[in-house]
Amino acid sequence: MTPLPQSRRLASGGLIDRSRTLSFQFDGKPMTGHPGDTLASALIANGTILAGRSFKYHRPRGILTAGSEEPNALVELRSGARREPNTKATTVELFDGLVARSQNRWPSLGFDVMSVNSLLSPIFVAGFYYKTFMWPAAFWEKLYEPLIRRAAGLGRASREPDPDSYEKAFAFCDVLVIGGGPTGLMAALSAARAGAHVILCDEDFSFGGRLLSEQFVIDGQSGADWKAAAVFELEQNPAVTLMRRTTVFGGYDQSTYGALERVGDHLPVPLPHMPRQRLWKIVAKRAVLAAGAVERQIVFGGNDRPGVMMASALRSYVNRFAAAPAQRLGLFTNNDDGWKTVADCIRAGIKVEAVIDPRPAIPEAFRQLAIQAGARLFEGGLVQDAHGTARGLQSIDVMTSTGRTESVAVDGLAVSGGWNPAVALTCHLGARPVWRDDISAFVAGDTPPGLVVAGAATGAFDLRSCLADGVRLGAEAAQAAGFTAVAPTVPAASEETLGLMPLWKVTGARTKAFVDFQNDVTAKDIVIAEREGFRSVEHLKRYTTLGMATDQGKTANVNGLAIMAALTGRSIPETGTTTFRPPYTPVAIGAFAGHHRGKHFRPTRLTPSHAWAAEQGAQFVEAGQWLRAQWFPKPGETDWLTSVNREVIAVRGAVGVCDVSTLGKIDIQGADAGTLLDRVYINGFSALPVGKVRYGAMLREDGIVMDDGTTARLAQDRYVMSTTTANAAKVMQHLEFCHQVLWPELDVQMVSVTEQWAQFSIAGPRARDTIQKLIDPMADVSNMALPYMGVTTITVCGGIPGRLFRISFSGELAYELAVPARYGDGVIRAIMSAGAEYGIVAYGTEALGVMRIEKGHPAGNELNGTATARDLGLGKLMSQKKDFIGRVMAERSGLTNPDRPSLAGFVPVNRADRLRAGAHFLGLGAHPSASNDQGYMTSVAFSPSLSHWVGLGLIKNGPNRHGERVRAYDPVRRGDIEVEICSPVFIDPEGGRLRV
Amino acid sequence: MSDPMPNPRFAFAGHLTAIGSLVAGAGITLMPKDDLALATVIARKGQAGVLGERVQALFGIPLPARPKRAAAGKIAFIGTGPGQWLAIEESSGDPQSFAAKLATEFAGSGSVCDQSDGRAVIRVSGPRARHVLAKGLPVDLHPRAFGPGDAALSQIALISTLLWQIDEAPTYEIAVFRSMAGSFADWLIASGAEYGIAAMS
Amino acid sequence: MQIECPFCGKRDAHEFAYLGDATVARPDPAVPDAARAFYEYVYLRDNPAGSHRELWYHSAGCHSWLVVTRDTRTHAIETIAQVGAR
Repeated sequence: MTPLPQSRRLASGGLIDRSRTLSFQFDGKPMTGHPGDTLASALIANGTILAGRSFKYHRPRGILTAGSEEPNALVELRSGARREPNTKATTVELFDGLVARSQNRWPSLGFDVMSVNSLLSPIFVAGFYYKTFMWPAAFWEKLYEPLIRRAAGLGRASREPDPDSYEKAFAFCDVLVIGGGPTGLMAALSAARAGAHVILCDEDFSFGGRLLSEQFVIDGQSGADWKAAAVFELEQNPAVTLMRRTTVFGGYDQSTYGALERVGDHLPVPLPHMPRQRLWKIVAKRAVLAAGAVERQIVFGGNDRPGVMMASALRSYVNRFAAAPAQRLGLFTNNDDGWKTVADCIRAGIKVEAVIDPRPAIPEAFRQLAIQAGARLFEGGLVQDAHGTARGLQSIDVMTSTGRTESVAVDGLAVSGGWNPAVALTCHLGARPVWRDDISAFVAGDTPPGLVVAGAATGAFDLRSCLADGVRLGAEAAQAAGFTAVAPTVPAASEETLGLMPLWKVTGARTKAFVDFQNDVTAKDIVIAEREGFRSVEHLKRYTTLGMATDQGKTANVNGLAIMAALTGRSIPETGTTTFRPPYTPVAIGAFAGHHRGKHFRPTRLTPSHAWAAEQGAQFVEAGQWLRAQWFPKPGETDWLTSVNREVIAVRGAVGVCDVSTLGKIDIQGADAGTLLDRVYINGFSALPVGKVRYGAMLREDGIVMDDGTTARLAQDRYVMSTTTANAAKVMQHLEFCHQVLWPELDVQMVSVTEQWAQFSIAGPRARDTIQKLIDPMADVSNMALPYMGVTTITVCGGIPGRLFRISFSGELAYELAVPARYGDGVIRAIMSAGAEYGIVAYGTEALGVMRIEKGHPAGNELNGTATARDLGLGKLMSQKKDFIGRVMAERSGLTNPDRPSLAGFVPVNRADRLRAGAHFLGLGAHPSASNDQGYMTSVAFSPSLSHWVGLGLIKNGPNRHGERVRAYDPVRRGDIEVEICSPVFIDPEGGRLRV
Repeated sequence: MSDPMPNPRFAFAGHLTAIGSLVAGAGITLMPKDDLALATVIARKGQAGVLGERVQALFGIPLPARPKRAAAGKIAFIGTGPGQWLAIEESSGDPQSFAAKLATEFAGSGSVCDQSDGRAVIRVSGPRARHVLAKGLPVDLHPRAFGPGDAALSQIALISTLLWQIDEAPTYEIAVFRSMAGSFADWLIASGAEYGIAAMS
Repeated sequence: MQIECPFCGKRDAHEFAYLGDATVARPDPAVPDAARAFYEYVYLRDNPAGSHRELWYHSAGCHSWLVVTRDTRTHAIETIAQVGAR
């Protein structure tokens, strides 16, 4: 299909580039536009009136606005993985090849089966969800929700992964100017001329705001020319950052602002390496909010019909985009500003059929203008109903000042009910807007520290005031940021008046009158809410869903509030205020995630032997941020348990090596290092001899175990502490707290050395033989020279300095060898070749876990945030001779009760049974109930040494019940077996193997 | 023991190879700094003054009391916290001996730990260096706020970083925990790709 | 939110870890009613609407523990100081 000509494109004018033509498709129809168009302006230029259907009633809807406040013209943009629902046609910048589809219609936009909902509207009124679908609960999931989802909807998201990238960035400035209209441009110029670093953001792809859309004259130039000069000056200033297509969507504490830059949204696909969107966090010393104002509607019958448009939007399409939304226009305005539409239509050759102005008397100049336009003038008149079809408007019913109703044939109606200042950002920290009677609008109340509001956002709706505001507030912001402002000159602009007579809703409408277009909330819904007692603003909003759609009621809220005020006989400020939370416009989740998605969700920490382990084909597992080898499958091993059993048997029978570098290591020095350790650990460390290692456990101040590990004394005034992998950062923070906050008098210096050392556990009966081959001559690592729980410094592999700890987690003769991390890769290769003759294996975290369970060592599953030292069998370590963190609270009766779940071992009575971690213990024959619960299985493993499953668990009075049988009840996995309570140490209970 | 001493494997090894060919006029140049000796130095209780005098006497460097880098010759000290510094020796042939030497010299006034392997340092320079860092570092690097000799402890892409500026080119050096070097490189490359990245070894 | 660390300067709140009330002090474990004193120290907290002294830890920076006096209603920060040993 060849595209049709742009039938509604004006012959001249506009800020579009007619030298280039862009092709696009809407609902499969080929169309064309020009650079500078939005999708909405291009649709209008192509004579498309109908843009979508509404959410609830599936009513045909046209384009209402020309900005981000648009409630109606939501489209699905792009296709495939890039398909994005609910994009506003009014803000989508046209690009070549754009594909868009209308939403909420089936089978087609012109003929929609679901528009029957409109006939069923009595059941769709305010509160219908609450009233209709209350019970039974199962109906909600199975019947109501699928029905409603099919009937109502807001477009379809792509189900494929987002192919685009997003990023976050930080910016800092003296003055942030939010909004690049006349006020914002002037504020930016003023601040920049004073020397301040300025960031100017505007959500549009072009700066200028209303200067682009009105026929303004500034300093004798056209508004567009003046704007071009202003932007040129700002672009030449290296201290100014201009950010187009950037919405400042949130204001946060201490002058921090969130902004979304649409970097690649105006392109068919982002360029290589270009993010689609960038989320900015901007820290500004001062900020000027020059976000302008949003024109508001008047609620009358059929005010949602395609062809009804805000007057300012109509002027945007005519003046900026050279597109004619109508050929025979009606204008309904309660203020002087709306009258600009008449002059612009005359210039553009659009026939104005009628002007309806409810004010009883209007300025003579407007009367003359109406005559010049050949328009009928209804002074003191009202539009009661607009009539039309999905193809456009046909007529309006006008109630004249004398009470007659007249029908006027039009194909478009421009509406202006006045302006609402865009004060959302002033409310994000909790302040509420305040009502101003003189302009019948809410303006900013208290503003956050550092933020000032300027121009139309303050309710100054004329260009002269806006420019003056910009000059003054830009200079003041620069001054507040420490700069000296130059003498301000305000450009000359002609005077404007507003002359507004508030009009929120026309009475006597015969057809549906809408307040919130996007959520299909009608004036009648507000009547129902009032009648049923939902009169407070918060109740009104939630009961009717007023203002709760993706546009957050930018064109709806104040009208809704005013209607409620009239119904309850209160003033608008008495009725309530509208307030706003971030974001000002929707922000994609992808932008908040930025770089952190998929494998970059969080940083990955690699062990020093990672590259080697990967070469061995290791299976890796995430342990916190770390990636650790879980097991090392050999060729032919297809089942993880086979590999793990082999690794365990090899360690217990010969020797194995495991990278344990992930354990936290904290270097603690100073004269009082031992004293600090005494206060942090439940057991003593100040008396530990140099060259010795000791196991220690530390508590939280509430008496619960926080962490455990070994600490070695390297010198009189130096220790190195090890922590569990998971708690390394937490323990460091805790130690800093103890030192800095609790005991600043201590001479202690602490630093994490986790990353400095590659540390390998070499375990098994041949561990010493293996070590002997690695260490350099002169070092004696015999059982005599380096007994169990000793530490020494050595060199290995021809001069690599290291530390050798004789400690064991597996229960075998074992060493931990620490070398500078750069040598980790080389040293594990050296260990593997040194141990080859003894049958050395590399083992992963699974085998490590099996062996620690066989030895009954508590680990993460047992340190579960509820277990005390006594619960874990560590009660005898608790020193009676000193104070330590958690000592006092650990003595509470609830924590010393012997009936507390405490550590025991478990074996299945039928040795063939598999144990499951998480199974709860019940007395034999006891009914499975919470009151009969005796504890649970914390860790299980298949023990290749014993050829059956073994478990650790916390069970009431565990240590005194060895030999007793209980049920291990696991209903989720249908487990219900008998187990026997036993000692948690399954292997070598005397510990003889450790000391050989 | 007949085997020769194993070669060191540096933290950025294998992580900077995937960034493509050296782009003419690349906006960013990356260079791992594998030859630095690093050591943390923490003043003993009440000994900061003595420590400062020792450093001044040994290296002619005034110990910075702020996040600043003070350097003379091959030696630099960066303030990393109240009473804490990162000491750096450039082109160090024997990183362990640097910490050992400092420990001896500062006995009684400062606690020293070798961190030559604990931190991985990468140099980021080029006309777009500031732009790429703004995508992760919540610190203002504009010349009027941050210049040569300034340092910052912060985080980039959830990775703890110590960054310092070398010159006005601008050239920055960034230290991250060794295990995070790969993730840090991933972020650098993803964020800098649009400016073109050259990598040097 | 921005917090001005006395050592590092003004930084985003994401760099800091919050602990809570800085007005409570660890009791002397030797006093006769230590159990009660510790119970109060560990569990009992005022929740003022207004100025509040709080402990924050500059975890992504210099590892300083800070006492931040913050208005809990507005998040306005009145004073920030290093605590104890530093």
